[in-house]
Parts: sequence; structure tokens; C-alpha cells
Amino acid sequence: MTGARASGLKTSDLTRQRRRSAWLFLLPMLVVLAAVAGWPLVRTVYYSFTDATLATLDAYARVGLDNYLWLMRDPVWWRAVWNTVLFTVVSVSLETALGLVVALTLNAHLPGRGLLRAAVLIPWAIPTVVSAQMWGWMFHDLYGVVNAALLGIGVIAQPQAWTADPNLALPVVIAVDVWKSTPFMALLILAALQMLPQDIYEAARVDGVHPVKVFFRITLPLIRPALMVAVLFRTLDALRVFDLMYVLTGNSRSTMSMSVYARQYLIDFQDVGYGSAAATLLVLILALATVAAITLGRVRFEAGR
Amino acid sequence: MAAVTLRGVRKSFGRFEVIHGVDLDIRDGEFVAFVGPSGCGKSTLLRLIAGLEDLSDGDLSIDGALVNDLPPARRGIAMVFQSYALYPHMTAYDNMAFGLTLSRTDKRTIEERVRAAARLLQIENLLERKPRDLSGGQRQRVAIGRAIVREPKVFLFDEPLSNLDAALRVQTRMEIAKLKEDLRATMIYVTHDQVEAMTLADRIVVLNAGRVEQVGSPLDLYHRPRNRFVAGFIGSPAMNFLEVAVVTAEAGAVTIALPGGATLRIPVDGAPPPAGTRLTLGVRPEHVGVAEQGMPATVLAVERLGGETHCHVALEDAQRMLVRMEGDIPISAGDRLRLNLRGETAHLFDDVGQRL
Ligand SMILES: Nc1ncnc2c1ncn2[C@@H]1O[C@H](COP(=O)(O)OP(=O)(O)O)[C@@H](O)[C@H]1O
Ligand SMILES: [Mg+2]
Repeated sequence: MTGARASGLKTSDLTRQRRRSAWLFLLPMLVVLAAVAGWPLVRTVYYSFTDATLATLDAYARVGLDNYLWLMRDPVWWRAVWNTVLFTVVSVSLETALGLVVALTLNAHLPGRGLLRAAVLIPWAIPTVVSAQMWGWMFHDLYGVVNAALLGIGVIAQPQAWTADPNLALPVVIAVDVWKSTPFMALLILAALQMLPQDIYEAARVDGVHPVKVFFRITLPLIRPALMVAVLFRTLDALRVFDLMYVLTGNSRSTMSMSVYARQYLIDFQDVGYGSAAATLLVLILALATVAAITLGRVRFEAGR
Repeated sequence: MAAVTLRGVRKSFGRFEVIHGVDLDIRDGEFVAFVGPSGCGKSTLLRLIAGLEDLSDGDLSIDGALVNDLPPARRGIAMVFQSYALYPHMTAYDNMAFGLTLSRTDKRTIEERVRAAARLLQIENLLERKPRDLSGGQRQRVAIGRAIVREPKVFLFDEPLSNLDAALRVQTRMEIAKLKEDLRATMIYVTHDQVEAMTLADRIVVLNAGRVEQVGSPLDLYHRPRNRFVAGFIGSPAMNFLEVAVVTAEAGAVTIALPGGATLRIPVDGAPPPAGTRLTLGVRPEHVGVAEQGMPATVLAVERLGGETHCHVALEDAQRMLVRMEGDIPISAGDRLRLNLRGETAHLFDDVGQRL
């Protein structure tokens, strides 16, 4: 009896000790995070309630919710919100669908798939600014290869101003994002596919399950947890998109995202208070999207078993 | 129920041939076990019959129809996998019903069949559970249930008991034997465990390195192994092999010299080899007796199992043997024994391992 008590105490001692060392290991990361992410965030939220400008960062007045009220009444802001949401929904959907196709293809036993797998990663490996600039040249209205090719095969009758035309600019931005981010989706999905047990596919063959049914009734449910995590990551990434729009179309309203809007006020118009309010709202929207995705999609971060 | 016929079946993976021409006739309603050491091609042969692998050469018919080019689902087979291969996201019920829901069987029939199989396997109270909430033995039953509801002509089992613990293995073995009586379907059962094969099968196919060594009833293989491989593989503990020489030969029998000077007359089937030929003598541990007279031996080690005693001995010429004795025999290392062999229970193998 005493032995059992003693050993019980020992266990909880051990647990406490483990917990303490866990926190100790986490400490450096927490300190760095607080310094590079926590503090700037707090400052941004604080500035969003002031009329600070870039020139007078130390001399400002508290203005309460004024910045937010102005923001709510600015149609350009709402246009930016709409652009961002549209961009996110369309590009993440396309990337998920294409990523699935690419992953399923790479998962099949093709000869030379190791090479293919490496090749697929290239668009993801190129820095966005570089690939955006590259695509910017390809979509150039006068010298771009896209116009030349489409004119050559007769799809269009005259050169298009791809990045300037308000109707074409957002689709172009989405297309470039799909080109760039599909590999990320594909590889995350491929990793999930390769974790699947192979024997159940043989069982399905014996059961005579049609390949399409196998995909929807077996593969998709089993990779769903990983797929949801991938979609969540891409969604959060897409909601704060900045570089693509900025490089391809500058501050154009037809493609302006929330991040581009915030940067324009913060830097170009030097209105730190107002820009911070936009940035804070962006963070809030991101947080809401995350919570919604995790609860609605029942995303689980621990290994799905 | 259906007969399964293999003619000249070969299988290569790339440049490596792993099944080297197998001919086999499995009768309607028969329970056949494939046994052999690990890697000999048992699973490959089973998967060829299932249609999960394509034949490299030869013909395969099930129920009289050539099925070489039919997909697994249209061969009238059901397979129980070694790893169970249950769909992890479906309940036991759905695992069993899934194949049927797709083949346009109506809902009532599906439910009836699943319930009937569940009753047979005593898993009626587990139907709503997912595989991860089932024990190994229960998963095994669900996997067997999934095979039963397909009402196949041929059941294929790939080492279905190898993931179970010893006690459960014995119990499940009995249940499979009962299933065999209840279903009366043709069953092909792969195992590396010769005890499973001996207890369950009507006939055993002994495979070695992609070839059939012998096909026969369990006792046939035990009493009349065709060659040294089968003799050594069937029976536990394994048969003893001794190097011996022929003293005299006559029609239908050979007399050999045993280590220590004694001789033994052994009946043989074919033409006896001339005097002086070197042969291998095979004697099962349970067929070695201890007597007043006989081959002298020294005890090296003793293993006591309670019900029986295994005694490792060295003969005069330093060859080793295992002797199996009934009961708990008071004997210890260093003791000297005299061993008694009988010609009827001994086997002779020539230099290529064929039994005489
Ligand atoms: N898909 C495969 N590709 C290449 N070699 C294989 C494949 N499947 C089995 N083999 C080889 O075939 C031989 C027989 O394998 P298997 O039938 O699984 O043996 P067993 O079931 O008797 O242990 C082994 O040498 C194995 O390495
Ligand atoms: Mg095997």
C-alpha cells in the first residue's frame, strides 16, 4: 500500500518535471516569437487607435474607433476585402483540385516519378517576387509571350492588356498563384497518399469497387484530415496575399488585396493609424477564418488515426 | 463451390522468376493449404489465383472457366488478407457491406447477409465499431465476414492467423475448421505454420523456392514425404537426418549401417542402390525409442515440456539427433542411452534428396 502510494507520488513528480523541461525547451521559441511577432502586433493594434503618421510616430493623439469607422465607410477597403476573398476561394479551390490530380498521378507507379516529383516543386521553390515578375513579363501587353502565343494560334484577335484590364487582372493573378501553389498542395496530399495502407486497395479490387468509387469512398475520406490542414494553410496564406498583386498590378484597385491596401496607407500615404487599423482587421479576419475552418472542417493537427 | 486448376503457372517480377511452373488441381469444396518457408512464393501464388497479380505464363481456371484475364471481382473469389485490410474509416458493418452496396444488391439482402455472417462469426454486437476499436481477433472475424458476404466460390486466406497470439490462434483455427464445415466452399489457405496446415487442410501443397515439392493429405506427407525437403518441413519437431551407408541391398529393402555398429533393414519402393552407397537416413524424433539394446548415444541437453521430453543426443560418430519421449523422463546431460529405430518408420534419401 505504501509502495503504491509512493510510486503514485513519484509518477506525478516525474510528470511535473517533464512539464517543466517542456516549457524550458519552448522558452527560446516563445521569446523570439514575442519579439518578432508579438510586439509588432501589439504596436500595430495600439497605433490603430491613434492618428500617428510615418513622419510623427512619437507625436500622436488617441482617436478611439475613428480609424475603424472610416475604414467601414471606404468602398476601396471593401473592394480589397472582396478581391482577397474571391482570390482566396477561387485559387485555393483550383489548387486543391489540381493538387489532388497531380498527387494522384505522382502516387501512381510511373517510371521516373522521382524526377517528376522534384520538377513539380520548382514553381514553389522560386521566390514569389521572382515568379511574379517572370509572369509579369510573360503577360506583358506588347512583348509578352502569352499574347504572342495566343495571337499565333488565333485564340485572341488583338493583344490583351492582361494585367491592366480590370476584367483580366484578377484572373491573371489567380492563374499565377495556382501555378505557384499547386505543387505545395500536391506534395502535402502526396505525403498523405503515401501514408495510406496499400492492402485496402487490394481489398477494394477484390470487392470490385469502381476506381472512381474507390477515390470518393476510400481515398478521399482517409486523406481528408491532411487535406483540411493543407487547405487551411493555403487559405491563411492566400488571405494575406501581397507580393503577387503588388508585383503584377501595383496598387490597382481591381486586384488590390487587404494587405496591399494596408501597405498603401501605411507607406505611400504615411497614415500609420489608418493603415494599422486595416492591418488589425486583416488579422481579425484571419483569426476568424482559422477558427471557422478548424471547427467546421474538424481539422485535427495530431496524427489522424 | 468450384474447382481451381493451375497449369504451368509462372510469375516473374522483372527479371526474377518467383513461381517456376506450378500445376495444381484443387477439387470442388476442398480445403487446401499452401505451406513452405518464408519467401517461397505462397502469397504470390495465392495472389495469382485472386487476380491481384497477372500470370507471366500458364493458365488458371476457376469453376471450369479460364480466368487469366478476369479482374479479381469477377473470378468468384474472396480473400482474407494477412493484415486484415479493413477500411479504417468504416464500421464493421460497412466493411462487410461495402462490396455489396456497389454490386446493386438490394438493401434487405445486404442486411440479411451481413447479419447472417455476423451471427456465424459471433460479432453481432461489434457491427457498429470501427476497426481501430476492435481487437486483433475481432478484426480478423470482420475480415472473414467480409469474405463470407460475397458468397464466393473460392475463399483465399493469406496467413490469417499470423498476427494473433498463440491462444487466440488455436481458438481461431478451430473456428476456421468449423467454418469449413458450415460453408462447404473451396478454400485455399496460405500458412508458414505446418501445424495449421496439418490440422485444417484436406490436402497440403508444400512449396519451396517457387516449386511444388509435394501435394498430399496431411498424413500422407507425414508418413510418405517424397523428398528430404518435405520430410524436414512437415512434422514438429523436425525429422532427424543421419549420414549412413548401404551394407546389403535386396529387392524392396535396404540394410544400412548405423553409427556404433548396428544395422537396420528399411523397406524401399524403387530399385535399391548397391552396397556402399552413401544415403541420408531420416527418422522423426517421436519414432526413436530408448531400449536395452541399440545404437549407443550420449545425452547433450534435455528440454522438458512436462508432457514430453526432448533429448538432444550425440551418436558414436558425433552425428546429432533429437529424441522425443512421452512424459517427464528423469534423464540429464551426460547420461548414456541406447536408441532403437524401426525400419518401417525410417526413410532413406538419395544424394539429390529423393526418397527411395
Ligand atoms: N511485388 C513484388 N515485386 C518483386 N518481388 C516480389 C514481389 N512480391 C513478392 N516478391 C518476391 O517473391 C518471392 C515470394 O514472395 P511471397 O510470395 O510473398 O513469399 P511467401 O508468402 O511464401 O513468404 C520473394 O522472394 C519476394 O521477394
Ligand atoms: Mg506471404
